Amino acid sequence: MKTMRCYLANDTSSRAAGAERLADAWSERPEIQLIRTSSRGAFFLEPMVERETPNGREAWFNVAPNDLPRIVAGVGGTPVAGIPFLQQQTRFTFANFGITEPLALDEYQARGGLKGLAAAGSLSPEAIVEELRISRLRGRGGAAFPVWKKWQVAQQASSEQKYVVANADEGDAGTYCDRMIMEGDPFRLIEGMMICARAIGATRGYIYCRHEYPAAAQAMRFAIQKAREADLLDSDDYPFDLEVVSGAGSYVCGEETALLESLEGRRGVVLAKPPYPAESGLYGKPTIVSNVLTFATIPNILANGGAWHASIGTEGSRGTMAVQLGGRVKQPGLIEIPFGLTLRDILDRFGGGMAAGSRFKAVQIGGPLGSLFPESQLDIPICYDAFAEVGAILGHGGIVVYDHETDMVELARHFMAFTADESCGKCTPCRIGSVRGREILERIQIGQGTAEDLVLLSDLGETMKATSLCALGGRAPYPVLTAIEHFPNEFRSKLSAFSSQQ
Amino acid sequence: MRIRNKTQLAETLETCRPALLDNPNILKALLAIQSARGYVPTNAIPQIAQVLGVTEAQVAGVLSYYSDLRTQPPGRHLIRVCMGESCMANHGARVFRTIQEYIRINARDPTQAERFTVEQMSCAGNCALSPTVMIDADLCGRVTPSDVLSLLEPYR
Repeated sequence: MKTMRCYLANDTSSRAAGAERLADAWSERPEIQLIRTSSRGAFFLEPMVERETPNGREAWFNVAPNDLPRIVAGVGGTPVAGIPFLQQQTRFTFANFGITEPLALDEYQARGGLKGLAAAGSLSPEAIVEELRISRLRGRGGAAFPVWKKWQVAQQASSEQKYVVANADEGDAGTYCDRMIMEGDPFRLIEGMMICARAIGATRGYIYCRHEYPAAAQAMRFAIQKAREADLLDSDDYPFDLEVVSGAGSYVCGEETALLESLEGRRGVVLAKPPYPAESGLYGKPTIVSNVLTFATIPNILANGGAWHASIGTEGSRGTMAVQLGGRVKQPGLIEIPFGLTLRDILDRFGGGMAAGSRFKAVQIGGPLGSLFPESQLDIPICYDAFAEVGAILGHGGIVVYDHETDMVELARHFMAFTADESCGKCTPCRIGSVRGREILERIQIGQGTAEDLVLLSDLGETMKATSLCALGGRAPYPVLTAIEHFPNEFRSKLSAFSSQQ
Repeated sequence: MRIRNKTQLAETLETCRPALLDNPNILKALLAIQSARGYVPTNAIPQIAQVLGVTEAQVAGVLSYYSDLRTQPPGRHLIRVCMGESCMANHGARVFRTIQEYIRINARDPTQAERFTVEQMSCAGNCALSPTVMIDADLCGRVTPSDVLSLLEPYR
């Protein structure tokens, strides 16, 4: 019997969906050889098994172990190119996902990998930064700062030692694209960091990976080892070494100064800026801290030119956006699209409507610090400017959809409790304000809140926004205040009957 | 057992001793101890401070700051229930309550005493398969309250 090659994702989420059960059940079957790839990101279809056909790959969805005969016989498969969720996307950074084996350097190279690094090798450091300026790439971690400006500062700083740090502390709930990159295409992150190292003159790099992502940290360690063996990392023409460092469960360590404190082994407490890390970062040396997705975007920019990247997207937001859809939708998963599509487009065309039995109530973008949007505001385009105009953020691109069963008072309390838990304690308004905010919402929850409490909450929110050093304190009031703004009756109906005015 | 633990601690600490002119890394040392022993005993703080060349207050500060560092030995299995927004939207709180109930019911049996430690986690990055429960290193997605019994049974 001929052995057939089939493809199954080895991503954490695919395993959580049951990919491991298939691999175990089929490990002894002679008719099939399983290749473990990255995941395409269409998680509602996982575990998904693919096989090669003359017309490209065919896929079987939500596979159970006893589906093997069907797959071997080729019955009931769907061409991958015909899956609307994937077909409507524009995949650049995530082009390899679902296709290659994550740790196969030759496959990465065969699909255009390392071209960006080669292009960077033929450019002067100034020319690399110029290419990024033309590309108009903005940091993908949440702050959306122009990448080239940061790099230029670090490049012009004179120091015998400089560092490149990948921020893999993907703490925003609802986001998982950094985890997917590290598990699914680790060489892309390494390549992006190496390009940055050459541009600014750094010889050491760190990947600060959150403790919740053990598989991603392991994949990165293997990939670094492979890159080292292939003489890619520490080559003769450019010495560079890379290390994975684990965090220990602190949300605020996603903020760059706190991250560097943690990397040095101290409490992850936010520091006042300036000095910016690009001037004085890790151990007081010039340091570029960027999000994993930002680094992973860079190889394509160098390979295809900055002008190519600038030709995609909208005026202020060039390139593609990695949207991570979750919550009560039918089709949660990773969506890479050019900036400019509206929120409604994403929910309708990709989300596939609400999960069975649920009705839309609100959507939250940007993790636990992001604003809530009701049905009436869904026509907002996904780009930095449009979001800034309404006082919202895109953050790291996580979109969570809430249904009619969601209790907005409980949700608001959850956000304040989260901030109270995660506040590093540096700024008093955040440290104490979040606890007071939680207490007010708990009071409302048990029917003892008054109308003054809602005024107090909004006052507290404005204080936190104005007086916190980092985005945790500065953005924490947004989900709470937008919940009150869009669903006032849920809060008012819970106020005490003895409240002076309602 | 205690003596063995002490030598083990000393051995782990020795690997974290900073080289001459190098900066001590408190977090790295505490994570190394925790991965060897399961937790960081607070009575080891003076020894850790001495090997790293930092103050006891600095070690205690780092130890109390990070939520993943524990000062008590965990149960045989660590259950972490995700409380991220996507899991909240998909009723992860109900799963958490069901797990707590399961453990409370079993607590009467003395053989079960150290079986589980239950914690909440902020986001497991498994948002497309919410709600998420992590048991030791195993991540489970799309968990409903009725799955809890069969999910926990294999972990004795």
